[in-house]
Amino acid sequence: MAAARRREAEWGGRPQPRWRPQEVGAGDRRRRRQLESSGLAWPSGGGVLGAPLRLPLPRPRLQPALQARAMAGDNSKQFWKRSAKLPGSIQPVYGAQHPPLDPRLTKNFIKERSKVNAVSLKNKKASSFHEFARNTSDAWDIGDDEDEDFSTSSFQTLNSKVALATAAQVLENHSKLRMKPERSQSTAADITANFKVIKSSSDAQLSRNSGDTCLRNPLHKQQSLPLRPIIPLVARISDQNASGAPPMTVREKTRLEKFRQLLSSHNTDLDELRKCSWPGVPREVRPVTWRLLSGYLPANTERRKMTLQRKREEYFGFIEQYYDSRNEEHHQDTYRQIFERILFIWAIRHPASGYVQGINDLVTPFFVVFLSEYVEEDVENFDVTNLSQDMLRSIEADSFWCMSKLLDGIQDNYTFAQPGIQKKVQALEELVSRIDEQVHNHFRRYEVEYLQFAFRWMNNLLMRELPLRCTIRLWDTYQSEPEGFSHFHLYVCAAFLIKWRKEILDEEDFQGLLMLLQNLPTIHWGNEEIGLLLAEAYRLKYMFADAPNHYRR
Amino acid sequence: MEAIWLYQFRLIVIGDSTVGKSCLIRRFTEGRFPQVSDPTVGVDFFSRLVEIEPGKRIKLQIWDTAGQERFRSITRAYYRNSVGGLLLFDITNRRSFQNVHEWLEETKVHVQPYQIVFVLVGHKCDLDTQRQVTRHEAEKVAAGYGMKYIETSARDAINVEKAFTDLTREIYELVKRGEITIQEGWEGVKSGFVPNVVHSSEEVVKSDRRCLC
Repeated sequence: MAAARRREAEWGGRPQPRWRPQEVGAGDRRRRRQLESSGLAWPSGGGVLGAPLRLPLPRPRLQPALQARAMAGDNSKQFWKRSAKLPGSIQPVYGAQHPPLDPRLTKNFIKERSKVNAVSLKNKKASSFHEFARNTSDAWDIGDDEDEDFSTSSFQTLNSKVALATAAQVLENHSKLRMKPERSQSTAADITANFKVIKSSSDAQLSRNSGDTCLRNPLHKQQSLPLRPIIPLVARISDQNASGAPPMTVREKTRLEKFRQLLSSHNTDLDELRKCSWPGVPREVRPVTWRLLSGYLPANTERRKMTLQRKREEYFGFIEQYYDSRNEEHHQDTYRQIFERILFIWAIRHPASGYVQGINDLVTPFFVVFLSEYVEEDVENFDVTNLSQDMLRSIEADSFWCMSKLLDGIQDNYTFAQPGIQKKVQALEELVSRIDEQVHNHFRRYEVEYLQFAFRWMNNLLMRELPLRCTIRLWDTYQSEPEGFSHFHLYVCAAFLIKWRKEILDEEDFQGLLMLLQNLPTIHWGNEEIGLLLAEAYRLKYMFADAPNHYRR
Repeated sequence: MEAIWLYQFRLIVIGDSTVGKSCLIRRFTEGRFPQVSDPTVGVDFFSRLVEIEPGKRIKLQIWDTAGQERFRSITRAYYRNSVGGLLLFDITNRRSFQNVHEWLEETKVHVQPYQIVFVLVGHKCDLDTQRQVTRHEAEKVAAGYGMKYIETSARDAINVEKAFTDLTREIYELVKRGEITIQEGWEGVKSGFVPNVVHSSEEVVKSDRRCLC
């Protein structure tokens, strides 16, 4: 048996059937692929185009504002020191205390901001690479702390050259993609009209805490299907494994009630919300919870509606100014178009990063979660043109802002030479060498390098390794955990790797190992697996927080 | 049981984004054309055995690289340990052809002190009506660099097998002639398993005995 499998692997490239029954695995994976790639394969062509956007090492990152607000005042300089306060080395996972934010960051914030403004005004002509790099230090991710930032006026100081270069790059790639004939037949043939549009529950909550009675308007069967359906598995975002929604347990009902309470209180207690969200957010309240956790929505209920309205308008102001003017085509609101616009505006505002493959993946969870507010049941193959203009605009703008907040926390993943990723992969190696020497030595013995498999884990936040529903669950926690997407992700990756230790140790050559690591069989994973993974990650974090020297040299 | 192979060659596939590198490799290793394909992030690994002559198998380990400029710092680490490479461009995308030179420059810097045998591949030849690069000019460029040129289509499975096996044969010949040698600390070429050798030496002994009879 083993020999046969091995032979198959030798001859047949990816030994997928080994772990992933073709019928199930391929389908799910295909759907994921469709989402990830359809039209979002938004590459910067080879050398020529990419060149002007290269930049050297980035400044130290600023943290998302909500954390700043929540954590300011605590003065621990290092992650490690803080843990000395904690009794015992291993902490329970749920209801975790959140590590405080590094205060240096809040201090720097003001300084950097003024500095950057000066710099961006100074921009003239970049004659050398370094000059260019200096001049285009990303000015646009800084003023992210409160609602007043990203004002149109500050945006206009953006170096127009950079903006033009980015725009040119992006549009070039788009037109290339658009011109391409559809090489594959549309697979979406007969789709029954089981889609329903419901009133956004968070909007409902915003205006009044009426809650449970959502308006449901059945929709007609869509006239035109998108060429490539790209939204997968939405029906199963939170309902692991099962096809229908399982009945709510008492515990789940209590949790949902707790969330509703928190969300509707005059000033939502964000600390408490994070605590509650760490073990997963009920899907009914996920959209509004995510908006709050990301720092996009203010804690004060009275200000929410206005803020949303203003931010949405602001986003479409960018679109008008930077996208429409270069894009004569009539607006089409297909998934692809929406994603394109979001990524375009992000790229133009972040010239130090530009667009990196992988960023497109990061829009998806937000988009799907915000879409789920309006669309009941299966969103796969859902034709977005069935939604009203208002709904679409809200989903698009909210996805943009929340994605921006997320990317702010991991921007050095995507700047020149991707230093953030390099560092994290190194840290992962270091960590694994401490927590599981056997696995580590196994890799060394067969000359497997961590970069060979973990690069993608970092670059795409494990999104390519997990079903979308799992990513969404994972992000509940990442958004509740300080530096979730950056620091905590490292421990999740370590836990994820060790999860497969038996399979890893069973492989006895380079090839088998790499094939395994590139195709880890997670297709049936659900909330339970992610919960265990997060628990283990949390344990690791605290284990090493107490003994930093185990981890950092 | 291990499959028996004479040599293991490591190959690398490079070229601009969206020229079809991953699809070509997957057609070759999995025998099918993926309807949709993730943009490659960093580097992916594939493998297949090829038979270049009856009974002579070569194990190919193939690195599929991301075409996007931003990943260059990752992908360039893989040149050094490759003995062969497919340099792809898309025949319907002139720019990807113009960048061929740049790709070669890039490899030259990072492959040292070793060498890579490249073949130039004009991909998506099923889209002949949208062709922006003629076969003639591509052949001329290839010849200028001392490479072979081949046109392929992953979608219609044209020349996919040939592109890989021709390159494999070319490398095999160089190895046979001693122009490429197996070196400690270099993954480009590795020699196959000993059982093969033992087996043949036993045969030799047997036949010797027979001759004595």
